[in-house]
Amino acid sequence: MSYKILEENNISTVYLNGEIDMDVTDTAKEAILPLIEAGKEVHINLKDVEYMDSSGISVLIESHQKATELGTKVILKEISKSVLKVIMMAKLEQILNLG
Amino acid sequence: MNFKQESEFNVNSSSLKDIRNFARDLFEKVEELNDYKEELVLALAEAAQNIVKHAYKNQPTDDLLKVIINYNEKTLMMELFDKGNAAIPENIKPRNLDDIKAGGLGTFFIGQIMDEVIFKTSKIDWVNHLILVKKF
Repeated sequence: MSYKILEENNISTVYLNGEIDMDVTDTAKEAILPLIEAGKEVHINLKDVEYMDSSGISVLIESHQKATELGTKVILKEISKSVLKVIMMAKLEQILNLG
Repeated sequence: MNFKQESEFNVNSSSLKDIRNFARDLFEKVEELNDYKEELVLALAEAAQNIVKHAYKNQPTDDLLKVIINYNEKTLMMELFDKGNAAIPENIKPRNLDDIKAGGLGTFFIGQIMDEVIFKTSKIDWVNHLILVKKF
């Protein structure tokens, strides 16, 4: 997995790429959580994520919960078909913000 | 097309990608499996992840885990063998989806994707033997 972050106004967009599993969740969290802690609205672009397992879903849940706790928000953008399938299997489409 | 293939992998999170690729390569060769390829890969990888996280508690080890994938008479059987701490099947339950929290989804995914999940602990040379079955 690799990522890049684009900052525009008070919105930070994290572009994740590749396969997200337990091996890379710490990297994903280290990219996303500090932005939320800084009070920014965070968009997570999942267009180029080819595979996500339960560990990756956990990163999305944790990010969503941290943002809610701190009064900001995380929005998932351009979700790839494979990631959407896993989100729906976990019945999280009504919980996470899908933009 | 029927097939049976096995391979052994290091027990660590870096091996999960290798396990996925091992399974993908096999499923791509069989037309009826190809449509379900990513779900089946997810189920297998979640089971392997559980071995790393729970049977070995993320601790480094020289042990290997073995995967056997067998497709015969429209039944797919994915078997995982490990020598970690013995699993207690009664304690392995899918998380209640109303309880939104990070973690605990892997077992739920496996149950959603597969038709049967069988735990065995008596296999000679191994401690845990997990069998995932899907009928087509």
